[in-house]
Amino acid sequence: MEKNFDTTDCYLINGKLALPYTYFAGRVGSTFITTIRDNHKIMGVKCPTCDKVFVPPRQTCERCQADIQNNWVELGNIGKVINYTIVRYDDKHLPRKAPFVLAMIQLDGADTPMVHILDEVDPDAVIEGMKVRAVFAEKTTNTILDIDHFAPV
Amino acid sequence: MSEFYGIKIEDIFNSMKDRFRPEGAAGIENTFGYAIKGIGGWKLTIAKGAMAVDKTDDLSGCDVVLDTDGETFVGLTIGKVDAMSAFTSRKIKVKGAFNTFGLTSRMFHKYMTPGQETRQAQEMIALKKTISVNQRFATGPVFGKFLKGLKEKKILAVKCPVCGRLQSPPREACAICRVRNTEWVEIGPKGEMRMLEYCYYASPDPLTGETRETPYGAIGILLDGCKDEEVFWHLLRPDQLGKVKMGSVLNGKVTHGTRLRPVWNERRTGTIEDIKYFEIDE
Repeated sequence: MEKNFDTTDCYLINGKLALPYTYFAGRVGSTFITTIRDNHKIMGVKCPTCDKVFVPPRQTCERCQADIQNNWVELGNIGKVINYTIVRYDDKHLPRKAPFVLAMIQLDGADTPMVHILDEVDPDAVIEGMKVRAVFAEKTTNTILDIDHFAPV
Repeated sequence: MSEFYGIKIEDIFNSMKDRFRPEGAAGIENTFGYAIKGIGGWKLTIAKGAMAVDKTDDLSGCDVVLDTDGETFVGLTIGKVDAMSAFTSRKIKVKGAFNTFGLTSRMFHKYMTPGQETRQAQEMIALKKTISVNQRFATGPVFGKFLKGLKEKKILAVKCPVCGRLQSPPREACAICRVRNTEWVEIGPKGEMRMLEYCYYASPDPLTGETRETPYGAIGILLDGCKDEEVFWHLLRPDQLGKVKMGSVLNGKVTHGTRLRPVWNERRTGTIEDIKYFEIDE
């Protein structure tokens, strides 16, 4: 862009914003992560009234507000792609080098999708409805990335 | 049915002996009756730091009787039901000395459902992280000239060609007259105190993430050469927080505030922090 003003006094200041924080997963979130980490099993919670299974799990049903934190159900490692996006830029907070796919994956038996990385596939070959399976991480980080990624079945 | 939330009413009474805290019952000499609708009655006797609980339907001699249904009683015990709302909605009725009932909560350890102890011992995940975000602040020509001025120990302001008001830090335009500011003037560097805010919560510096020590004083200084609202915002020397006086203009009557002068950093890099803070000019 052509600058139609005097830029003699213009300059840039570079900074690095560091923000320390603690993420607390809570009782339900912790069970979800530790079960993935230790047993390679993905668990959800079911609301018996609404007959809905939530993955990731939550303490209360979003429809009837009932306390459902103890109604654990085990889900398989298979699901399907509900929607997806291709990340085409690199940034240090992103979990992969671009291009990579972030997909909304609904596990078989679940009523809600979860966001995760879809790998082992050409980004341009991803389609909605694609069957995928969870691939568990070898090294734990105590995060949702204990599922390393999902891959086509 | 005497089971609610998966808990038997009997279990709550039978476990009282194990949950009893003699230290919490010191000085209490009372009998408490529990009348659970359709299920039965229990009588709790506290005397000389000891307790006894009996299943009996005769609660006539009790100092206070709690009258409720099984679901509310279990709910209260495990914290699913709020005592106050149960009372106001008349799900609980208390006969006798109401306040005496409050004593029971410190005489017993909390009732734990079987398996609750293991749930509490579950591993909780808490992740300590530091987000690091690259930041870039582009000064533009006007703010850049102002920051360069600070490097040379000069505080610059722009002057509106229409209304003549000064702005520092400078803006490209006078927002009131909607014209481009063209003229630059040097103001200060000394001035008088106009406003002081005690800040007890410091938000992080967007360029570094660091926070200032609190409390600190954010001050509005009327620098020499400025008038009315043309105040310049900066920091006050931390140890002088309680020693400054604010000035004001009220109905044309001017009250002068404490005279202040800037303290410049030795190494100036062209940021607002080239001025460390303002201090009392003595």
